[in-house]
Amino acid sequence: MNDSILGSIIRKRILSFMIIGFTAIVIFQLFKMQLLDNYFYVEKSMENSVKKKMIPAPRGVFYDRNFNVIVSNKPAFSIEVLPSEYNVKQNTLIENVLNVKPGYISNILVANKRYSPHIPVKIRRNSDFAFMAWMNENKEMLEGIDYDIELQRDYSFGINGSHIFGYTKEISASQLRERRSIYGMGDYIGFSGLEKQYEDILRGNKGYSLTLVDSRQRTIGRYLEGNEDTSPTKGNDLILGLDADAQLTAEKLFEGKRGALVAIEPTTGEIIAFLSSPSYDLSKFASVTSAEYWDSLSSDMDKPIFNRATQSIYPPGSTFKMLAAIAALDAGIIDEKTTINCPGGLQFGDRFFKCMHVHGRIDVVEAIKKSCNTFFYQLILKIGLEKWSEYGKQFGFGKRTGIDIQEESPGILPDSAYYDRVYGKKKWTKGFLVSLGIGQGELGASPLQLAKYTALIANNGKSYEPHFVRAYIDKHTSEIIPLSFNKIELDIDQKVFNLIQEGMFKVVNEPGGTAGNAKLDNIEVSGKTGTSQNPHGKNHALFVGFAPSKNPKIAIAVLVENVGFGSTHAAPIAREVIKAYLDKKELKNDSLKEKVAKVN
Amino acid sequence: MRIGAKLQDKLDLGLLLPSVFLIVFGLLAIYSSTINHPTAQGNFDRQFFWFFISIAAVIIAYFIPPHVYRLLAIPTYIFSLATLVLVLLMGKTVYGSKSWLGIGTLGMQPSEFAKIGLILFLSYWISRKQTDINSVKDLAIILGIGFLPIALIMLQPDTGTAIVFGLLTLFMIFWGGISLFGLFVVLSPGVVMFVSVFGTLPMFIALGLILLLLIYFKRDLFVSASVFVVNIAAAFFFDYLYHILQPHQQKRIETFLDPNADPLGAGYNALQAKVAIGSGGLIGKGFLEGNQTQLRFIPEQWTDFIYCVVGEEFGFIGSVIVIILFVLIFTRLLKLASVARDQFSSLVVMGVLVLLFIHFAINIGMNVGVTPVIGLPLPFLSYGGSSLIVNMTLIGIALNIHKNRKRYD
Repeated sequence: MNDSILGSIIRKRILSFMIIGFTAIVIFQLFKMQLLDNYFYVEKSMENSVKKKMIPAPRGVFYDRNFNVIVSNKPAFSIEVLPSEYNVKQNTLIENVLNVKPGYISNILVANKRYSPHIPVKIRRNSDFAFMAWMNENKEMLEGIDYDIELQRDYSFGINGSHIFGYTKEISASQLRERRSIYGMGDYIGFSGLEKQYEDILRGNKGYSLTLVDSRQRTIGRYLEGNEDTSPTKGNDLILGLDADAQLTAEKLFEGKRGALVAIEPTTGEIIAFLSSPSYDLSKFASVTSAEYWDSLSSDMDKPIFNRATQSIYPPGSTFKMLAAIAALDAGIIDEKTTINCPGGLQFGDRFFKCMHVHGRIDVVEAIKKSCNTFFYQLILKIGLEKWSEYGKQFGFGKRTGIDIQEESPGILPDSAYYDRVYGKKKWTKGFLVSLGIGQGELGASPLQLAKYTALIANNGKSYEPHFVRAYIDKHTSEIIPLSFNKIELDIDQKVFNLIQEGMFKVVNEPGGTAGNAKLDNIEVSGKTGTSQNPHGKNHALFVGFAPSKNPKIAIAVLVENVGFGSTHAAPIAREVIKAYLDKKELKNDSLKEKVAKVN
Repeated sequence: MRIGAKLQDKLDLGLLLPSVFLIVFGLLAIYSSTINHPTAQGNFDRQFFWFFISIAAVIIAYFIPPHVYRLLAIPTYIFSLATLVLVLLMGKTVYGSKSWLGIGTLGMQPSEFAKIGLILFLSYWISRKQTDINSVKDLAIILGIGFLPIALIMLQPDTGTAIVFGLLTLFMIFWGGISLFGLFVVLSPGVVMFVSVFGTLPMFIALGLILLLLIYFKRDLFVSASVFVVNIAAAFFFDYLYHILQPHQQKRIETFLDPNADPLGAGYNALQAKVAIGSGGLIGKGFLEGNQTQLRFIPEQWTDFIYCVVGEEFGFIGSVIVIILFVLIFTRLLKLASVARDQFSSLVVMGVLVLLFIHFAINIGMNVGVTPVIGLPLPFLSYGGSSLIVNMTLIGIALNIHKNRKRYD
């Protein structure tokens, strides 16, 4: 053997040293763990033989403004598998009974492989009764499969409200990582609408029960007689500004129609009714959403998921004429006596802008009442783009209202910067302005923005940013805790509002006004119709209004897509919703069906 | 041969008995961890069956004429490589590695049997008269012999076993009589690579030390320069090496540093293993009474985490007995390696020793939380037929060498 410097004796010693050294380390570690720190590990292992079972907490309930329950909770059964006990040979059988594709269960188990095998994995939410019965009958032969009672949303109170309430969804892995202290695997979390916005208020605190199990994993009893158990606490309930009657009426009236409706209480900014049509069935989202239902929603040409009330941006048409009038009156460009001649239209450059009639000399109140286009073509040329757009901004056009759901578009309110950007500096002319005067052209407002604008007109420039939720009920004290929202106060002369309101009153209540259809016998309604031109099919019908005309309690904006005139199609809907809200007694006598028949 | 027969030593019970005792310990632990398990209940019966097969393997290995092993060196090595290639082509994937070869209803792990092939062939090659372990060329060939199966095993990929093969090759070169300079050439890149993990400054200090040592050894300029270049390359190699590790292995290294960081994920096993062992106390919770084991807090406990069962149910006393049994085997083998009849036998015994020790160190180390979680079975105790048969065959070969150590023919 070639022993240069290291002799074989030294080599042997090196190896002995390694073996003895490592053994010493291990024995020291064992000594430390099993003898010195034994207490700590025994405690840890005790935790293991105490099984912790989560008890779900109900989410807060939604009340309308009259304390009617509109969204609640109901129990549902979910099927879960305990990987440590589950026998994979059962896969085929269970997949057959569940009626799912082969590999369904093993896919779920693989996805949860990294977690402890003692944490149950849900394989089916909202199981039907047939499966539960089958499971009970075959209890003896099934291993490691059990059911769990969960709570899910109950929408059986007649109101759809899909675009308001939104839905909850099983928490995603990334959300779980961020908020591990609060949520656990399989928990539900608000995913859209109010459920998302008010997640922290609505979410309850989960409870848990502790059970002792022996070394064979049989349950021996409750841990410390249940003294360490925590019962779940329900989330805080929300009180909405919504009025169940008005909302229900609006939903019925919009059946089979496309469009949106937003009604606001002008003094508070609280939303009384809100819908986007077509809508979808929230109860289908209460548990696992079937792929077919989701596909049918997302492939629907009418886009039911899209929130038309906050996200659709159409030219507001004649409903925007009040804005030009307010700007001109407040800036002193005209007064109530100023008249403009309407010869049936306006020749501007090489283009003729039409009016519906020949109105002759006409003042601002009459122009609103008769919806004279010529008056407003001329008016906006006098006001100028900058001034007009400044007033538009004051009323909140071109930006998000900040309503308490996240799905919202800012809309478009052009100013010279906008035209410079789109057409290039000096590449656009005053002719671009003319149609803005009557609310057409490059202008986009959501029904929500129109409702807010109407509320501000109705309440003399004072209101709050629109919002659904008025307050929540504290789960511990049962106190009603109001939520605060931004106040709006416009610096516009009261005389201006008086004139505009007069015009809008006449629109509905005087012969020659354009919205006689909105008239009610016992309540004075003010309003303005509009027709929004669009390149796809018939015009969209619009109506904005408020009631009662003196001290208004409701301001409303209605949009019905591709049906034609606002007076024919939008105004009657507004009328019925106003009636449902203000005239409660009659609603109870009058059946809803008859009303629907009356409108159509 | 009659003279030879008289010169035969008697059966070395000091080596055989600890091995059998460890298997019995293993059977108890496997029984305990699987008896209440829905899918692994048959494991005890199977392991019991493998136990008898492995005793048969010991008997065969013991009675084979000693010179046959030298003749078998080349064929077993080539056969090992062939099965390692075959498993890549048509193997079954188990736990993310393509390491199983099915023969009828039976399955086997070629990488287990390749251990015998590698030990025999390395011993044969190093002990050849014309091999000079201190010549660069021969050293390179020996490293190449080790590298071939390592490369094939890395492709499965089974990094744990590849590490075992790498260390096995290094230790056999060490035992084969490599000079201090040779050892320096072989080991220094590894050391530099390891030091580089801790940053740029330690890396440059290590390289500076290498330079000083090269000056001390006073080899010719070409050799010194080459060794230095290899070391520089090694310094920058770590980053690359870290990236060829499987994500779950990277994760394991990270969780070894802080198992509490991910208690439900990759750190789960390491943490539960420590809880099981630590809660065992002095005498343990008793056979079948360990709640960690019986509640199956550790998945597949009967393979890589079998030592926890011992730790939990038999306590400190049981755990230390297992370690003492291993140490008895190691010291016995170490002694045998230095008194063996020739260099080939000595190297084979050293191969057996090193192989068992690496498995022991890594497995027990991860169970008690002093090494990262690398999936290697604990020899004699862990459930698994291939491993048990191969380990007992190696013990049989060592017994054979012991029996014939006084023979000169």
